[in-house]
Amino acid sequence: MGFRTYLIRRIVYALIVLFVILTFNFAVFRLMPGDAEKMIIDPRFSPEARMALRKQFGLDDPPLVQYWKYITSLLRFDLGQSFATRRPVASELAERLPNTIVLFLTAFTLTMIIGTAVGVYAAQHRGTFAETFVTGAGLFTYAVPTFFFQLLLLMLFGYYIRIFPIHGTMSAPPPDGAFLRFLDRVHHLILPAGSNVIIGFGSWALYTRNTMLEALGQDYIITARAKGLPRRDILYHHALRSVLPPIVTLIFLSLPGLVTGAVITETIFSWHGVGRYLMDAVLQQDYPAAQGAFYLIALAVIISNFMADLVYGLVDPRIRVGAGERR
Amino acid sequence: MRARKFLVPVALLLVLALATTIVAAQEKKVKWEPWGPRVDQIIMPIIKDSEAQLIAFERGESVVLPGLTRPGDINKVKQNPNADITVNLGFHMFYLCFNMRRGPLDDVAVRQAIAHVTNREQIINQLFQGYMLPLTSFVPQSSPFHNPNVPQYPYNPEKAKEILDKAGYKLDKATGVRIDPKTGKPLRKMKIFTPTYEVAPTSAELGKMIAEAAKAIGLPVDPEPMDFPVMLEKIDVFDFDMYVLAWGLSRIPDYLYTFFHSSQDVEAGYNTPGIRDPELDKAVEAVYYPPDLETAKAAAAKAQVILSQKLPYVTLYSRPYMDAWRKDMVTGYVPMLGYGAAQYNNGWTTLNIRRVQGPGGTIRWLLPEEPKNLNMCVASSAYEWEVLGRIGDGLLAVNPETLEDMPWLAKSWKVETWEPEPGKKGTKVTWFLEKGVKWQDGEPFTSADIKFTIEYLKKNEVPLYISDLQDIVKVETPDPYTAIVYFSTVSYWHLYHAAYSFLPKHIWENVKDWKGFQPWLEPHPKVKGLTKVIGTGPFILKEYKPGEYVRLIKNPIYWRLNPPKK
Repeated sequence: MGFRTYLIRRIVYALIVLFVILTFNFAVFRLMPGDAEKMIIDPRFSPEARMALRKQFGLDDPPLVQYWKYITSLLRFDLGQSFATRRPVASELAERLPNTIVLFLTAFTLTMIIGTAVGVYAAQHRGTFAETFVTGAGLFTYAVPTFFFQLLLLMLFGYYIRIFPIHGTMSAPPPDGAFLRFLDRVHHLILPAGSNVIIGFGSWALYTRNTMLEALGQDYIITARAKGLPRRDILYHHALRSVLPPIVTLIFLSLPGLVTGAVITETIFSWHGVGRYLMDAVLQQDYPAAQGAFYLIALAVIISNFMADLVYGLVDPRIRVGAGERR
Repeated sequence: MRARKFLVPVALLLVLALATTIVAAQEKKVKWEPWGPRVDQIIMPIIKDSEAQLIAFERGESVVLPGLTRPGDINKVKQNPNADITVNLGFHMFYLCFNMRRGPLDDVAVRQAIAHVTNREQIINQLFQGYMLPLTSFVPQSSPFHNPNVPQYPYNPEKAKEILDKAGYKLDKATGVRIDPKTGKPLRKMKIFTPTYEVAPTSAELGKMIAEAAKAIGLPVDPEPMDFPVMLEKIDVFDFDMYVLAWGLSRIPDYLYTFFHSSQDVEAGYNTPGIRDPELDKAVEAVYYPPDLETAKAAAAKAQVILSQKLPYVTLYSRPYMDAWRKDMVTGYVPMLGYGAAQYNNGWTTLNIRRVQGPGGTIRWLLPEEPKNLNMCVASSAYEWEVLGRIGDGLLAVNPETLEDMPWLAKSWKVETWEPEPGKKGTKVTWFLEKGVKWQDGEPFTSADIKFTIEYLKKNEVPLYISDLQDIVKVETPDPYTAIVYFSTVSYWHLYHAAYSFLPKHIWENVKDWKGFQPWLEPHPKVKGLTKVIGTGPFILKEYKPGEYVRLIKNPIYWRLNPPKK
């Protein structure tokens, strides 16, 4: 199978998956217990007022009509109007997405770099105190509940040692001047992003350490050692390169976090992001908001997986060849 | 037993202490004046996490911590020497509802017995450390319509047993369950629905406490915590025995009609207990459509007596509104009956609050949630009105101590009747407006704005206002300072059905899509620095950064800026 056929097949799969997700997305909120109307209508509303609201939000349409409207609207990227805020879901998501992306990218990049570096270091120093410390710290930070750790940081640096802001992405109001505004943003980012790095680096470090240790035990590494190659070359050019593909997988699988956000972090640090929006939408049975957010997430997951497949296909030709066609 | 003996006096003492605090807070005369505002700017940072809110208050990043509910937070704030807590009776009711359509709960004796084993003091003491007020009537104590002289069901398990014995529910000593006199068989198992412990731990625990108390007198009741939407759905289709929930109520007790009139006993209606009583119907109809205030008061008092006899609910407690203030930073906040000192309904604090070091300057006032939508036609959450309520003004104001109506944009008014058609009566409200009131862009506020607002909301069938406006037949404006509103029915409450914030005609007359209009995002067509969110109130919306903060600045042309020169 050529790369073109492989690509077309992946695109078709992605579209089918997207359609299934969208249909499921539509059904699940309507099958959920509870009534959206109860969430948006005041008890003192007259029957006329209730009717008007139902009409306004299309709740009086039969389910099939609602489904048709939903699919055709999504194709036009019209995500509808939120029940709770009566604002277009697309503008609400657009407001939040940059904040989520900034938080995620900062935390993710730092976590990945620090986690991988620490993992390589631990593997390199197997059996030493450094390795024991990295393994212990990694396990500990991985196991500590996020909310608990973040609340601790909030208390420590927000209350006892008051050096960091405790809410939002900027001061209210922000300082004048682009550079000062940038510094202000960074200042606000330190606690939420920093806490995520501390919580997240452990899993990366442990994963990298384990795969590196496995790689360091392989025959080709022993051969390299026997050839008298420098230790540094063995580690970075041979061992690390061989463990990169699974790390690339991890990176791609983590990418949907760009749009899903981090509900707990966003709540604790009053970070205006998509994660909290999604949670509120589900709790309030705000169909359009939840559907819009899930649509975005579904797109992100499908695109990330598609990109992972693509990169793999480019990097490793074996993956392009289906099992049945293997020669 | 000894523990119980000890607990009851402690609980009573705590409740008494809270009641005394509330009374003291009500009596603490705060000098409030109908002039202001006294600060140049209010910055409202949006802080959603409750721990972060507490820290922001401690750090002085907010001068107020509004709506304290968690005993832990209250105790923590109390330790801060710079904090002052205002306490006000609230329009709030927590209750246990019976499904009167189902046996044995269709028997008032069973409901009375459960009422007698419900230990409000213990609930308040154990679950809320004494920070709630026991409620025994169907209108909370904060309301001028509250009637304390209703049949009472004090905690008395012996009395409960006696009532059940007398009604024929004999105790089967072998099983500990009473026998249903109608069937001769043990009473069926009953459930109390509550939200889950994760969502509402106190409600779930409270359900458990009542169930255990009922079990102790031979009524087989179990608590059943469940997912909140599931619970609401079951209540909607009357698939329940009992449940516990709370209502946030209003100054006008017309909710008695919505909750207890037989016409509201329909699927998804609000008469969830299913009470149908002709005498009660008559009383709540008179509460809903009273010709005058006295009739409304008498009818509300009567309805409360009937409800206490029939017991569709056991009312449990009412939450006082507690707000914490940084007294080292601000002063002039005004406690208000029913609403508290910090709520937007309390315009007096907005006008009177000032920095300790003197008038002017900036104060920070936290918003616990996103205001989201500042379009008056669709803004429905309290957080939206925390902003809009400070930008707009009403025709009437409410006295914070007595809850009586006071003149505001309307310097006076008349409530009369007229004949919408021969032989039929309707209410006619005439408003006489203050002269010299201006919108924040300098345009005069006149009766034309009132007429436009009512007709615009009616024409577009804006859901939030349909209930209020549906009986309005027409609006006449004989001159720029007089507006006459004609209703097709007679009700004293019609006085309030056209007395809210108004839409500026010169801005809104060109708005076709009222739902999609986002006035806070659009610049004012003529005045630089303003948006299309303008009112006649003390503050101007300067900036709203979603997720971050709202900035309000003093309205320099506010009509109540200073007292008139003598």
